[in-house]
Amino acid sequence: MLKKTAIEKIPELAAALMDKGSLLAPVKEASGHNFAEIKDPQKVDLNFYNTILSPKGAFFPHKEDFVKYNTGKPVSEAEEVAMDPKPVFLFGVRPCDVKSFSIMDIHFNAAGIIDPYWSQRRKAATIFGYAFDLNKPVDAADFYNSLGIYAADTEGSDVFMVKTDKDLLLKSITPKGEELLAGLNTLVDAGAVDEKYFEETLKKGKEYKTRFQCIDQDVVAKKLEAIFNNTDFWTKVSSACLSCGICTFVCPNCYCFDICDDTMFSKGTRRRVWDACMFTDFTLEASGHNPRTQVFQRLRQKINHKYSYHVKKYGVISCVGCGRCTRSCPVNIDIYSIVEEAQKV
Amino acid sequence: MSFEPKILGIACNWCTYTGADLAGTTRLQYPTNVRVVRVMCSSRINPSFIFRALQFGADGVLVGGCHPGDCHYNTGNLYARRRLATTKKILEFAGIEPGRFRVEWISASEGNRFAEVIEEFTTQIKNLGPQTKMKIQE
Amino acid sequence: MTDFKKIEENLKKEAKRLLESGEVAVVLAYGKGFDEQHPMPYAAKSVADVENIVFNEYCTHNMARYLVRYPQGTKIAIAVKPADSRAVVQLIQEEKVKRENMVLLGIPVSGMKNAKTGEAIDSQTTCGMVNPVLYDVLLGEEIHGQKAASPYDVLAKYEAMDHEARWEFWKSQLDKCIRCYACRKACPMCYCDPCFIDQLKPKWADKAPQSPGNMMYHLTRFQHLAGRCIDCGECSRACPVDIPLYLFHKKVAKECEEMFKQASGMSIEDKPVLVNFRVEDSDKILE
Repeated sequence: MLKKTAIEKIPELAAALMDKGSLLAPVKEASGHNFAEIKDPQKVDLNFYNTILSPKGAFFPHKEDFVKYNTGKPVSEAEEVAMDPKPVFLFGVRPCDVKSFSIMDIHFNAAGIIDPYWSQRRKAATIFGYAFDLNKPVDAADFYNSLGIYAADTEGSDVFMVKTDKDLLLKSITPKGEELLAGLNTLVDAGAVDEKYFEETLKKGKEYKTRFQCIDQDVVAKKLEAIFNNTDFWTKVSSACLSCGICTFVCPNCYCFDICDDTMFSKGTRRRVWDACMFTDFTLEASGHNPRTQVFQRLRQKINHKYSYHVKKYGVISCVGCGRCTRSCPVNIDIYSIVEEAQKV
Repeated sequence: MSFEPKILGIACNWCTYTGADLAGTTRLQYPTNVRVVRVMCSSRINPSFIFRALQFGADGVLVGGCHPGDCHYNTGNLYARRRLATTKKILEFAGIEPGRFRVEWISASEGNRFAEVIEEFTTQIKNLGPQTKMKIQE
Repeated sequence: MTDFKKIEENLKKEAKRLLESGEVAVVLAYGKGFDEQHPMPYAAKSVADVENIVFNEYCTHNMARYLVRYPQGTKIAIAVKPADSRAVVQLIQEEKVKRENMVLLGIPVSGMKNAKTGEAIDSQTTCGMVNPVLYDVLLGEEIHGQKAASPYDVLAKYEAMDHEARWEFWKSQLDKCIRCYACRKACPMCYCDPCFIDQLKPKWADKAPQSPGNMMYHLTRFQHLAGRCIDCGECSRACPVDIPLYLFHKKVAKECEEMFKQASGMSIEDKPVLVNFRVEDSDKILE
């Protein structure tokens, strides 16, 4: 079904969703837009290009507490931190980010051990995908076309949204989405004109061009493997890299984490926090040996992991071309350019 | 129940700690709120100790060292003076009340002065109230 | 108005000369990024590399950051804007690099722009100086006659706040921190290996991106940079959540200047203020 709401009435829609569960939507912050839990429906802001941090935090929070314990007390007395079973609405997710969830599912929701935290959150979430504004120019950093993703792809969303001048159109893509839309009273049925606009937008989305290079993932994966020992190349492309970790934190597909036991006096919490292979001590071993002390080794690891090892193990590149890494990099390193250059070596 | 502050005192071994001992042997009375930790020299003090102490719930931090010029290691307290002065400015700019961190030069023979400083500082912290800004809330 | 094209020309000329003659092994300058507003730090190692060098108003990176990556003794030429030259001076003071191994290509410049916001960069977020303090070759005309605003004027508003307001401000700013450590990596003075925050014995702060760890990390970093920060503003430009770190660093720099009568990174004859003392130091600084 296709529903719609006037743009001024989006706060009403937000309030309705807040009644049903937790609403995570883009809000304007000092440095740009980011997904946040909405407490005030007026704060929902769909006038953005893309958020600074990716929405992976909805399923894989930056910090997640697991167990609270007391040193000196038996393990059986440790308390598991309960997960909030409320439904979650992820509102305003761009198609490239929606695609990233299915790639992340490989690690958290399949392949052996299921991560209960990720999978529970995933089950409880309804995803409102949101088409890029085809009337505005594409950001120079994006390259999701190279990864087979287009500006108005509905795949992976439960509901897909397209903005017109006056309205927000919402189409149900999955049964979950359909059920939800049917129950939202602030929405009205869309007419034939809207249906046409919606379908055309999906079509036009396929023609909305980002930077593009033909990335045949097997070719790229093999080439990266072949130039692994080309220290000159890797030193050259990493010469500017600060090895800070921003690219990892903003990336929708990076999933490394560290488990820490943070104890103060006798009380503590076991939690997981995001980790980054770009950090100097990421591969520091208990013996003191660190196989990746040089920046070029770490940058090579990052690129190889996403474009080579991930392809070999899981059959898909661990990147959706959202451009966040390039936009956030303090020294303007561009992963797309490095992959391109690597092909030419 | 009135507020009894918890104050961390860091005293250098050769002067202030010895001065504290003197205060003890001369049976001087002073408030018991200061928990004293002994270091060999005031320049041993890593400013992170001060930040950590505040995070762990100290209501005030008092550092005691030898008078400049009299350091047992000649120059230690001269470095400490500069270093801890910047720490003080940092805490103040962050918004921690300046009265919560104090550096005093107390020599080994100044038992009276030690008791006096403890008395003064404890009263000052009592007036400032519990330190809640940096304290880690459980 | 700074002639960026001319500076780029001169930079390329000097780089070519230095690399051709073998006087230096590497020239640290700027190169093309994925578009004109996003140049990248660039290390030219051969004459062929020189043609990739660019210089424009978006070349805000402090190349001194990369000096410590090269083995001691490497002969390096480095393009330095005013604050960057102070960074090199400070590193010489701290004996991380030797003066005789550096060739400083000084760039007098005014009118740099922040690519993220498009705003002009001035003394409100950096040291505001327009001429390098140390150089071997000057790539452009020295800039005279510009009214120099004090780099500490921007602090007045925060110094006027009472303690409660200041704490509120800093707590809310530092709580935004996601612990990406870009500030540390962008800073030319943060070269400690291992950094205190990565140490487990003792563990100064936990890794979670929230206070108290955030507060501990930043306050300690402000302390570690006391008297060393040269106010280039890179930390704040690198920050993905826009924490105004430059404000705090400026305040500490201002206090150090007042207390110890020495600004950081001005002369290679100076010793850094916290590894020095003067007999005239007064106890007043502890009040």
